[in-house]
Amino acid sequence: MSRRNSRALATLAAFSIAAVFAGCGDTTSSNAGGSTATGGDLRVLAASSLRAAFPAIADAFANVNSGVKVTFEFAGSDELATQLEEGAKADVFAAASTKYPDKLAGEGKVAAPVAFATNTLVAATPAGSSKVTDLQGLSASGVKLVIGAVGVPVGDYTRKVLPALDASLGTGWSDAVLKNVVSEEQSVKSIVAKLEGGDADAGFVYVTDVKAAGGKLTSITIPSEAKPTATYPIAVVSSSGAKDLAQKWVDFVLSADGQRILVDAGFGVAPTT
Amino acid sequence: MTPRGARLTAGVLVAVAVVFIGLPIVAVFLRVSPTGLIDGLRSETAQQALLLSLKTTLVALSVTVLVGTPVAYVLARSSFPGRDLVTTLLELPLVMPPAVAGIALLSAFGARGTIGGPLGLEIPFTTAAVVIAQVFVSSPFYLRQAQAAFAALDPRMLEAARASGASPTRGFVRIAIPLAAGGLVTGGVLAWARALGEFGATLIFAGSFPAVTQTAPLAIYGALDSDTNAALALSAVLVVVSFAVLVGVKLVTRRWTANS
Repeated sequence: MSRRNSRALATLAAFSIAAVFAGCGDTTSSNAGGSTATGGDLRVLAASSLRAAFPAIADAFANVNSGVKVTFEFAGSDELATQLEEGAKADVFAAASTKYPDKLAGEGKVAAPVAFATNTLVAATPAGSSKVTDLQGLSASGVKLVIGAVGVPVGDYTRKVLPALDASLGTGWSDAVLKNVVSEEQSVKSIVAKLEGGDADAGFVYVTDVKAAGGKLTSITIPSEAKPTATYPIAVVSSSGAKDLAQKWVDFVLSADGQRILVDAGFGVAPTT
Repeated sequence: MTPRGARLTAGVLVAVAVVFIGLPIVAVFLRVSPTGLIDGLRSETAQQALLLSLKTTLVALSVTVLVGTPVAYVLARSSFPGRDLVTTLLELPLVMPPAVAGIALLSAFGARGTIGGPLGLEIPFTTAAVVIAQVFVSSPFYLRQAQAAFAALDPRMLEAARASGASPTRGFVRIAIPLAAGGLVTGGVLAWARALGEFGATLIFAGSFPAVTQTAPLAIYGALDSDTNAALALSAVLVVVSFAVLVGVKLVTRRWTANS
């Protein structure tokens, strides 16, 4: 074999090794990364805003279910829903909006969703920044505002809540605020990042994000008449290979222990239906 | 292995490689109907994103070529202490994860960055931030090619120019650049393609807003859940552009190799 051929062969070998490795895992779950629940493993897809609370619940869960390993993927609820649509392997889906779990339940991809917590939208500013100090100030020209993109729960809530504030803050206020938007982010964590870095002057996030930021953000409360409260549903994924364990996790999140951790993180108690 | 066995193995491996790389590319086009593609391309999201991508990548390429060409020449044709270190440093974004590039740019030019803070710069969320991110990640592609092209020049040509009284600048512009043109064009095309595909650094450093910072790759990410047709249409356009870029580079390389 000529030298040129053998080099080409080496390149191809590298390709095929990559292909074999890609084939080893489950190709349908490759975009979600990682494997599905087998034995004592549980894979939970959860909204970005649960990043702090859910691992703490997992620790408590492991205390009563020894040997169970819970792995998480945190992302925007819409992104996770897309992954489930595309057949990603997971056992539980916890979202920041009823929209996606309801849609997936309608398609039979997840079981009936149950509300497990509430979260409240707030305006947040970088700690120490005096550019925006109240809701009225959000409409001032030159304010750099970062919100969630359309379709991302936090972005949809923001767009719903803002017009409801026009009644108290003045006609046209919400339009002026939306004109100040300089970036539409795909998850609440990237809004937080742009606020923490001081690059944005204000953003709309959840009260739990401000709490998790540990002093780096200051929050401005939104009056309750604008209905800034979001419901978080949780559901067992229909294709889960560990439905019993998945249901145990859901029950644990709803239990007094789970709820206490959520409340500590700033969430509201699950609304009783 | 017998020669025949080797040929057979090679054939199978080629097939594996072609399917592995080719299938996902073809699948983009199978995923959406032609009318869906056209609808997607007609959407405001797609048009704004493509226009912004075109504008920003052309500016980024101009900056890269204007600054990068003399830099590559100096690095290729002169020796000074620390030259290898400088070359390696300038190549670093090539192997850096784009997200790291984004954080690095924020750390330097963000509102609380190393120079962004003291100088009171307000770069993030502007189109300039998009261009900066693109230059940061794509310029090494140009520099590498340009440096290699200048290094490969026959020193006698440059000496002849000098001997005939041409200033170093004149020798660079009139002799070195035309002789290295093949490598420079290839480098430029590769850098442009990398800038066009830029995603992670832009998202982190510039943010995402239609017509200001939302380039085609960011629009694909943003539209993935809400406007799948637009996402697929933009993906299809970028696949076609990538293909054209590769073919273009191959043609250029072949022509210049044949000429010299």
